[in-house]
Amino acid sequence: MAPSATEPTSTQATESQNTLPPPHLYLPRETHFEKYLESQPDGYRKAVSQLSGNTAIVIDNGSSTTRAGWSFEESPRLNIAPIFSRYRDRKLGKTYSFVGADVYSDTNARGHMRNAFEAASGIVSNWDVMESILDYVFLKLGIDGANGSVDMPIVMTEAVANLPYSRKSMTEIIFECYSAPSLAYGIDSLFSYDYNNGKTGLVVSSSHSSTHLIPVLNSKAILSQATRLNWGGSQSAEYLLKLIRLKYPTFPGKLNSSQMEYALQDHCYLSKDYDLELSTYLDWTGLEDRDHIIQYPYTEEVVVQKSEEELARIAEKRKESGRRLQEQAAKARLEKLIRKEQELDYYRDLQRKIANESKKEVKRLLDSEDMKDEAALERTIKELDKSIRKARTKDVGGEVEEEVEEPDFSLLEVPDDQLDEAGLKQKRHQRLMKSNHEARARAKAEKEREKARVAEEKRIDEEKRENDLEGWLQERRNARAELVQKMKDRERLKADLGNRKSLASQIRMKSIANLASDTPTKKRRRGGDDDNFGANDDDWGVYRQIAVGEGSDDDEEEDFSANLKALEADLLKYDPEFTDQHTLDAQTDWTKSLVHAFLRGPRPFDHTSQQEAHQIHLNVERIRVPEVIFQPSIAGLDQAGIVEIAADILTQRLPGSGVPHEAFLQDIFLTGGNVLFQNFDERLREGLRACLPAGAPLVTRRAKDPVLDAWKGAARWAGGSAWRSAAVSREEYLEKGGEYLKEHDLGNAYS
Amino acid sequence: MAPPNPDAEAHQQLIDKLDIHALRKPFRNPHWRPNQRRNKNIKAIIGDAVRKEASLMPTQDNSGAATPLVDDSIVSTDGDNTPLSTADSVMQPNLAQASRNLSKLVLEKNLRSNGMSMAPNATYTNIESAPSLAHPRHYCDITGLPAPYTDPKTRLRYHNKEIFGVIRTLGQGVAEQYLEARGAHTVLK
Repeated sequence: MAPSATEPTSTQATESQNTLPPPHLYLPRETHFEKYLESQPDGYRKAVSQLSGNTAIVIDNGSSTTRAGWSFEESPRLNIAPIFSRYRDRKLGKTYSFVGADVYSDTNARGHMRNAFEAASGIVSNWDVMESILDYVFLKLGIDGANGSVDMPIVMTEAVANLPYSRKSMTEIIFECYSAPSLAYGIDSLFSYDYNNGKTGLVVSSSHSSTHLIPVLNSKAILSQATRLNWGGSQSAEYLLKLIRLKYPTFPGKLNSSQMEYALQDHCYLSKDYDLELSTYLDWTGLEDRDHIIQYPYTEEVVVQKSEEELARIAEKRKESGRRLQEQAAKARLEKLIRKEQELDYYRDLQRKIANESKKEVKRLLDSEDMKDEAALERTIKELDKSIRKARTKDVGGEVEEEVEEPDFSLLEVPDDQLDEAGLKQKRHQRLMKSNHEARARAKAEKEREKARVAEEKRIDEEKRENDLEGWLQERRNARAELVQKMKDRERLKADLGNRKSLASQIRMKSIANLASDTPTKKRRRGGDDDNFGANDDDWGVYRQIAVGEGSDDDEEEDFSANLKALEADLLKYDPEFTDQHTLDAQTDWTKSLVHAFLRGPRPFDHTSQQEAHQIHLNVERIRVPEVIFQPSIAGLDQAGIVEIAADILTQRLPGSGVPHEAFLQDIFLTGGNVLFQNFDERLREGLRACLPAGAPLVTRRAKDPVLDAWKGAARWAGGSAWRSAAVSREEYLEKGGEYLKEHDLGNAYS
Repeated sequence: MAPPNPDAEAHQQLIDKLDIHALRKPFRNPHWRPNQRRNKNIKAIIGDAVRKEASLMPTQDNSGAATPLVDDSIVSTDGDNTPLSTADSVMQPNLAQASRNLSKLVLEKNLRSNGMSMAPNATYTNIESAPSLAHPRHYCDITGLPAPYTDPKTRLRYHNKEIFGVIRTLGQGVAEQYLEARGAHTVLK
């Protein structure tokens, strides 16, 4: 997808590359096992020693974390993830159970991990897991169970409008399994509101699995007006994970939603003006600040880097062996030369000897040398002489001047009947030589003519350019456009061939079948016997068409780019409007590419670097994911965003039911881990302001600790009189059943 | 057997220490035997509740009269007001009536107490936010940037022609994954 970024050509690229500081790399965080948690019996001892009836175990049963502690303490003692793992080690014959972060201590345990809550909801769906988590809580809180029970009252939070079945199951477990003396339920966000001294206002609670808006009037929640948006931190993390997987489909590192939860915390924020900020988010200026890089662990491929010395040694060695070879060759050549010279001397001697010998003697001598006649001897001598001279000039390094001597064609003119047998043979030989000679001359002339033609063409071209520059340029431009189109078509064809169902692939399969078939379909249709394949040169193109894969048309591609380069060079030289920026290279350069900015940020990407392959660039996602809570349609959630819900509650539903709504505006209260995003309150305030009458008093505030205040509120409430009247005792449970619930200001209504 | 490895031994010790299965839990009732099929997902719970309610409905509301507290034990078709005809038929409806009336009483009490007699009780399903009335903005499925265009072939929204080029080179099924992130994918049933 990203264009080649290995050789940035435009000046802008090189400049920015030089001025950009090295990127800041963030490391991925994820939940992991930390340490063994000791049991803390001191809290239990203190609770027992205090007056009975004033202390309780407070459990904030949240879908992200189960927080548990004592009502008389400032903060919860336990913060554990509601996960559980049980497996049987067959080798040891032992069953293991782990709860919370302990699950991450062992790979086997991690594989058996289960969550107490139904995915993306605050409703408990796995009661075996829930029981184990409660076991763990009571163990770590040091309950000694001296009388076979958890002899402390329990205060627990539950989801808004919790399902009756879920509440009944929980109540059963608390009273039947743990035999607790009493139990009270409440809603986490209302505890948080109460802890922050809220009386009348709109509670906006965005937590791990969902977002709730609950109006509260005089400390009493108006649950009939409560609204839930099915989006929270866990959905955001899943959404981010989905986006990252799509963004880097071949990412080599391991991605999981726990890492994404941390990435949300560390890198994401709510945009104050989403559309405005979004439209310039991938712009070049300042991208290095907006683009956060998460570096996953990787192993660098070790490229054995040879030292300078080693390289020199290797070069030296190579040169040495080359020299040795050269020497050997020279030696061999010299030996050959000497031998040839000796031969030459011998034959010259022979020639001299022959000169004053009788004809018979000559014949004998020549026969002993395997020669036919004196002419043959002459020829041999001549040849030897020539080759010796050639070798000599080569040795001294001079040019070998090919002496072109017009061969002797004298016999060709003589009629056959005037020649003897030897003459006839000679004539045949001469004829052969002549045609050879003539062919060579023709080829030479052809070459000359071609050269002249090219020169002429060039001259005409130049002339045309001088006379009609515009027309000439237009020609070039057209040619270039055509070439670019051709390259694009080729690319598209290649892409299409990757898809088995595309038209291109189907045509290809058809031609293969046709070629392989003994009775090609086309022939039969035409009715001819001979398919005259090959009569047209283009017929062979079918083999090029069906070839796919590596190197199928590399040469042609090479050709295209060479041609394009030449055309662009011409245009650069003569066309004043055609600048560096217009070349195809510059246009497909990574500095122009939005996709590159999206995937790889403002720096060039090196395909070979393992480090860069293991990087995740968060840019648009940083505002895109948190935005979902304001625009759920982004993630395909068919619900209104929180501004719309809040405005509906404040301007339509509350006034409609006769409650003065101005009081609610004074206190828009934010709680829950998901409101920790930067700008959350500001964004909600600005969004609401647009929906309210001008000048309406609007105050938003955040809980002091959006995460822990629910537990703290529950702990404070647990000591008071409201708690005493709202708790269901064991006796009441036994009498009235599992669905029995006492309503109170901070809890759910019976339904 | 593999030779004892100090690391592995330390790990074994650690997980033995972390394990809570072997620990004694004296605070648990040893006779607690939970229902084997208590694990239900939300869909099943709501389905059960709806079925239960549906079975209550005909006895409660099929009269259509505004006197629900009096008449609904009479399901006989004879029309005369003699509900106590046989002892057998008294016992069964009376149980149903008792439980039904309790829930109804609570409901009515709630309606009176919160002052909004028309508002229904909050349940897990009815507090869910309604679909948005606002016009949804279109964002590029690939980059998240504002998207003025839609590709008719893949139905993906895109930001500019470069992204369009990317869309057209996507592998098979990838476009559907992008649609799924936006909840616009085709669901085959």
